[in-house]
Amino acid sequence: MQQATIKDLKAKRRALWRQRFMENWRVFMHNPLGRIGISLLIMFGLMAVCSYIPPMIDPMYHPMTGVDPKVVSSVGPSWQHWLGTDFMGRDIFSQLLAGARVAFLVGVSAAFMSVVLGTAVGMTAGYMGRFTDTALMRLADMIMVLPTLLVVLMLAALFGQLSIWMIVLMIALFRWPGVSRIIRAQTLSLKQRPFIDAARVSGASHLRIIFRHIMPNVLPLAFLYMTFRVTSAIVIEAGLAFLGFGDPGTVSWGMMLQWVWKTGHMFQAPYWLLPPGICISLITLSFYMLGRAMDEVLDPRLRDETQAG
Amino acid sequence: MSQSRENKTILQLERVSRFYRTRGNVFRGGGRLVVALNEINLSLRAGEIFGLVGESGSGKTTCGRLIVRLEEADQGCITLNGEDITHLKGKKLRDYRRQVQMVFQDPYQSLNPQVTIADSVAEPLITNKVGSPLDHMERVLKVLNTAGLSPAEDYVYRFPHQLSGGQRQRVAIARAIILEPSLLVADEPTSMLDASYSAQIFEILQGVRDKMGATIMFITHSMASARYLCDRIGVIYRGHLVEQGPAEQVINAPRHPYTKALIDATPKFGRAAEVPTYGTLLAAERPATTSAGCPFFRRCALAERLLCAGTYPPWHQVGPGQVALCHLLEDAAPAVNSG
Amino acid sequence: MALLTVENLGIGYQTAKGLLKAVDGVNFTLEPGHSLGLVGESGCGKTTIGMALMGLLPPNGRITEGRIILDGLEISAMSEDELRKVRWNKVSMIFQAAMNALNPVKRISAQMAEAIQVHRPEVDDHQAMERVEGLFNLVGLPLERLYDFPHQYSGGMKQRAIIAMALALNPKLVIADEPTTALDVIVQDQILKETKELQRQFNIGIIFISHDISIVADVCHQIGVMYAGQLVESGPAEEVFFNSQHPYTQALVRSFPTLAGPKTKLAPIPGEPPNLTGTIPGCRFCDRCPKDTASCKLDHPQWRQVGPGHHVLCDHC
Repeated sequence: MQQATIKDLKAKRRALWRQRFMENWRVFMHNPLGRIGISLLIMFGLMAVCSYIPPMIDPMYHPMTGVDPKVVSSVGPSWQHWLGTDFMGRDIFSQLLAGARVAFLVGVSAAFMSVVLGTAVGMTAGYMGRFTDTALMRLADMIMVLPTLLVVLMLAALFGQLSIWMIVLMIALFRWPGVSRIIRAQTLSLKQRPFIDAARVSGASHLRIIFRHIMPNVLPLAFLYMTFRVTSAIVIEAGLAFLGFGDPGTVSWGMMLQWVWKTGHMFQAPYWLLPPGICISLITLSFYMLGRAMDEVLDPRLRDETQAG
Repeated sequence: MSQSRENKTILQLERVSRFYRTRGNVFRGGGRLVVALNEINLSLRAGEIFGLVGESGSGKTTCGRLIVRLEEADQGCITLNGEDITHLKGKKLRDYRRQVQMVFQDPYQSLNPQVTIADSVAEPLITNKVGSPLDHMERVLKVLNTAGLSPAEDYVYRFPHQLSGGQRQRVAIARAIILEPSLLVADEPTSMLDASYSAQIFEILQGVRDKMGATIMFITHSMASARYLCDRIGVIYRGHLVEQGPAEQVINAPRHPYTKALIDATPKFGRAAEVPTYGTLLAAERPATTSAGCPFFRRCALAERLLCAGTYPPWHQVGPGQVALCHLLEDAAPAVNSG
Repeated sequence: MALLTVENLGIGYQTAKGLLKAVDGVNFTLEPGHSLGLVGESGCGKTTIGMALMGLLPPNGRITEGRIILDGLEISAMSEDELRKVRWNKVSMIFQAAMNALNPVKRISAQMAEAIQVHRPEVDDHQAMERVEGLFNLVGLPLERLYDFPHQYSGGMKQRAIIAMALALNPKLVIADEPTTALDVIVQDQILKETKELQRQFNIGIIFISHDISIVADVCHQIGVMYAGQLVESGPAEEVFFNSQHPYTQALVRSFPTLAGPKTKLAPIPGEPPNLTGTIPGCRFCDRCPKDTASCKLDHPQWRQVGPGHHVLCDHC
């Protein structure tokens, strides 16, 4: 083939993907939920990135170990401490920034792991069918009926303090069944579609059908569920930390709430109680809004425009 | 077509049957057995376009799926060039599918929505490990041109939803012929399309036969399309092949009452005077006492109660190369071989 | 007086890429008891016209110009409340996906009775059921299947039930949008015959929308051929199909296989219909037209009369 044609084709290919991305982006941004969600997330992302700055300015701003020597009990906002300090003189603002980092870490990694697991299980069950399907789905049912928070609490009580990574892993292990059910249903319906038959007639192996033909069609859905899973992971971690079963080595928003409560500042120090509480609500809300806007991108039926018939 | 090529049998179905079991449940026990195909005998000659005509649920699609081995026959034997392919597995099945390809009914469903046209069409090359990626693109462009999508460069990097139904079906045909199969099964390729696109699809299929020498099995519900495109026609009713013969003969001189009923029901488009009305269809179905009799007994206006309800009809030779499965053809000689 | 008059009708859809003019400058009239067949490819605007006649355009669609006058009432200027009184009472529709138009969890008879009572609140349950039985007889459905659920019906029976529903309130106009597309030839033939019979019996006006020219040729008195949102040829069925003047109609007829007559080579129509967002200066068919000249691309073609009641939108016929 001529060089010129190849170059031309490559340009066409790039144009196709760019066009596809722009189209989706346009639908996404067209949705007010998408716009609010993404701006909130950018804000939290900036907070997480900025969390490295205060300790560099002065070691007393370190969220865990930095203590202002001039402060002996919790004080309100000042120029030195924008949001005030906690009971031992640690800066609340830098704790809040560090909390954003932890929330992203916990939310995204736990959600990613549970979605990868759920998608793999769901696709296997849906595609293989019969015994494999039954076995995997009953396992999923069993895990699904367990109340995650309670089980993790019990495990935490059994093993003593859990590290943040153990918490992430446990959330992932307990939250995949929901994803796998949805992916399985999607796989089942995809398996019946004629393009799968067409791939078989073309000589595609089972692995190729799963990875080349089914996966691209379930991945957007899996990605969508990931945003909802992020929300639930953040809430579970916050709950654990608030109840005193968090990782004592990290500063998460749930942890901050626990300190407020444990030191009896619940109704005395709103500058301490409100910021982490509001942050938890807002970050879960923003991931939820992101998911809703993505839903519209993925499902053309939800778009408010139709073609002429 | 040369005469010698026409006579060589490429595909043969011998007494092929397929049953489905309806899903039972805990309370009713196992499901009922439904016959989708009942002892079908067919043979396709090299280089011909064979039309399989029937209504939905007649088993015509099942027949196509058995041939490309998306399903397996429960009884009987299918041979391609003398080789038994009824129960092939694994590598042998993959090799077989290089020779036999299929075009599906619904072009909106038979292309993966997440895969570009280029990748969809190249799929058979990739799975069968033919040539290099650069080779692939060259062949994809060539075959898209053959399928009437030119300039092909404009189509390769698009997604299926960016094409019209007619264009999608042409992409599906391109995918099916890229390995230059010797047999192509086209399952109602035009029934989901606008009438104006059908002629394009017919033209491409004729091109595939004439230029690539492929044999085509054209599955359709339309007698008019079958007349236009096919050399020979087989008419299928509820899993039973009831008449078979050269296209012109079957349409101009149908002998089985069901074939006649189909012709009666086809809109004539201004040519009603040239087609006789047969009136072989019973307005209301009559009850059948046994299942042993003629499959068309319930709806046949000509049926004789004793003969037709009681015994399965024999094949009659009703013209040169034309056979019909009916009791009421006294003038015709019993056919020795129905295939 | 004509039952239906459509004057210079234009319908647009608001899409992300701008206003899509799905229907542009369509004129036709329909006499009581007559039938008009609208044929054309998908996307030519024929279904949109049907929806507009019912006042059922989707939220992003609206009538941009022209008028629809049904039985002396101007449909195109009516509010939703007024439309509701007209719908089913005067004009009813047999939808494209009729199979899915029935509620799967309700018995057929109950659905029909409900449809009657929603539009005629004064009818009591007993009268409604009597009417349903009458309708069953009318469309040839066996009375013992009255209390079945839709999934127990075959495709043809569901279609008959839908036709019965459309006739329930004795409308003067029925819009049939591809009513037989999903059916087998034999069932299609029966239903078309019955439709013709019912039309004759009750003097109903029918607008028959289809992409299949052989069906409309069989059923309709008048034919309107649509292309890219415009009516391009209209007239009596015989005239339009067997003395076609517009190149598009000629191409449609030539691309259609027949059961009898000489086996001529079909001539496919090359290309695709134009994109309807934005304005098209000249004739819309000229990119696919064998007769096109330089002037076709520049000027709007004019309507010309080529026979009794036979009109063509083309400057070269």
